[in-house]
Amino acid sequence: MSADADSMDRPRGPIEVAARQVLADAKDLQGVLMRTAYWTANGRREPGEVMRQCFEVGYRSAFFLSVTMGFIGMILVFQSGLQLLRVVPDLTLLGATFLELLVRDLGPTIAAMMLATRVGAGIAAEIGSMVVTEQVDALRMCGVDPVDHLVVPRFIASMIMTVVLVVVSGLVSFAAGGATAWFVFDVQPLTYINFSLLDRGDLITGLLKCLAYGAAIPVVSGWCGLTTRGGSEGVGSATTSAVVNSSLAVIMLDLLISGVGFVVFV
Amino acid sequence: MIEVTNVWKRFAAPVLRDVTLRVPGGCLYGLIGPGAAGKSVLLKCLAGLLRPERGTVQIFGETIGALDEVALQAVRNRIGMLFQNNALFDHLTVAENIAFPLRRRGLTDEAEIAARVADRLRAVSLPGFEERLPGGLSGGQKKRVGVARATVTRADVVLYDEPAAGLDPVTSQKIFDLLRREQQEAGATVVMVSSDIDRLLTVTDRVGMMLDGALIFEGTTAEAQGSLHPVVKQFVHGEVDGPL
Repeated sequence: MSADADSMDRPRGPIEVAARQVLADAKDLQGVLMRTAYWTANGRREPGEVMRQCFEVGYRSAFFLSVTMGFIGMILVFQSGLQLLRVVPDLTLLGATFLELLVRDLGPTIAAMMLATRVGAGIAAEIGSMVVTEQVDALRMCGVDPVDHLVVPRFIASMIMTVVLVVVSGLVSFAAGGATAWFVFDVQPLTYINFSLLDRGDLITGLLKCLAYGAAIPVVSGWCGLTTRGGSEGVGSATTSAVVNSSLAVIMLDLLISGVGFVVFV
Repeated sequence: MIEVTNVWKRFAAPVLRDVTLRVPGGCLYGLIGPGAAGKSVLLKCLAGLLRPERGTVQIFGETIGALDEVALQAVRNRIGMLFQNNALFDHLTVAENIAFPLRRRGLTDEAEIAARVADRLRAVSLPGFEERLPGGLSGGQKKRVGVARATVTRADVVLYDEPAAGLDPVTSQKIFDLLRREQQEAGATVVMVSSDIDRLLTVTDRVGMMLDGALIFEGTTAEAQGSLHPVVKQFVHGEVDGPL
């Protein structure tokens, strides 16, 4: 037997298998990212496909996100008020502080984590089931890059709708926090609604996060779906991976953009 | 037309081992072998859906492994493929499924698309099924729609993966006869994987047999039927006693 045959037939140890898998995953993810960028600039969109995805990503997530962010607003303002009262008996900047935190970090990041669970899981499950039924291979044989056909419309829709959803759910969160401040701490609405701490850096950082998260969730989830192996068990595994990896991507991007924002704007 | 040279492919374990074969242009080539022998993997390597780790696959003079995804698309535009479980797009009607490769290759004349879809549906004996969804079709009907989609672009090379899997004997024979007729009319090069040996061998020009990822026999259909190789003999004649 030749040296080639020997090397191909040799059983691989667990470390070698894991290392090869990590390298292959990184290469696949990079490939999906590059092709998404390429087809976003050069691809042909089916009429109405992006709008349909905007509806799926945006309209169907709006209620879930608004309710979640509303409760988070109430909890954060309540807890912050309690802590503040221990240090200084003055809550006049409660609304301004919460608004800055909401715009700069909490609004985009928590909303994106929620979107990762709802939208990311859906993307991975849909693409994964197409992979195991060979529909993705059939797309490739029909002259279609699956990234162009399946990931890019979701990518464009997610970029647009993440910004819209963060703004809407952020407003709900701020309003719910205001109601809590008024009823629990007797902070009047005109005192609570205070934009004095909000600056250009907060707005730019918040917007950048929305765009980055909106891009990362469909790319990571699409990659998880496209690399599905096996049958229905593989689809389940891909769905779980999509939620975990998208959430991880959101947290890592949060750290990165917050760091850059801090250096640039402070 | 198709040349496979010393191809190796592995997932957790090797699934193709040093496979070398040549399919002449205009030939209907049957790929046979027991389950998990590597037949479908080899077919996907021919289509560029999988890339071999070692060795080369050449179609139309192009080395598949050396092409990037965009260049590979140009090669795939000359290949039609029927998948083992048909791989019809669930959300598209029968007519839209068959028209899909035409539209994606840039054909925009709706009248011509409709005419070619109708022609394919007549060829597979399913006229009037244009507006049906795949979910409402029987296994045999899905298979026929798959054949219609694989042949609608008049591709130079057509790959069929288990075209008669799960079908009754009469429908199976009809499918094989249809594929042979299609191949003769179009002059295409066809590679067909099937476990239905008896019917497959009624239509093939040449046959290759795979076992454990290796090609253990390659020759004409008559040579396969008369082979004294114990594994080939047992498999082709469906004998119970033997090395398999």
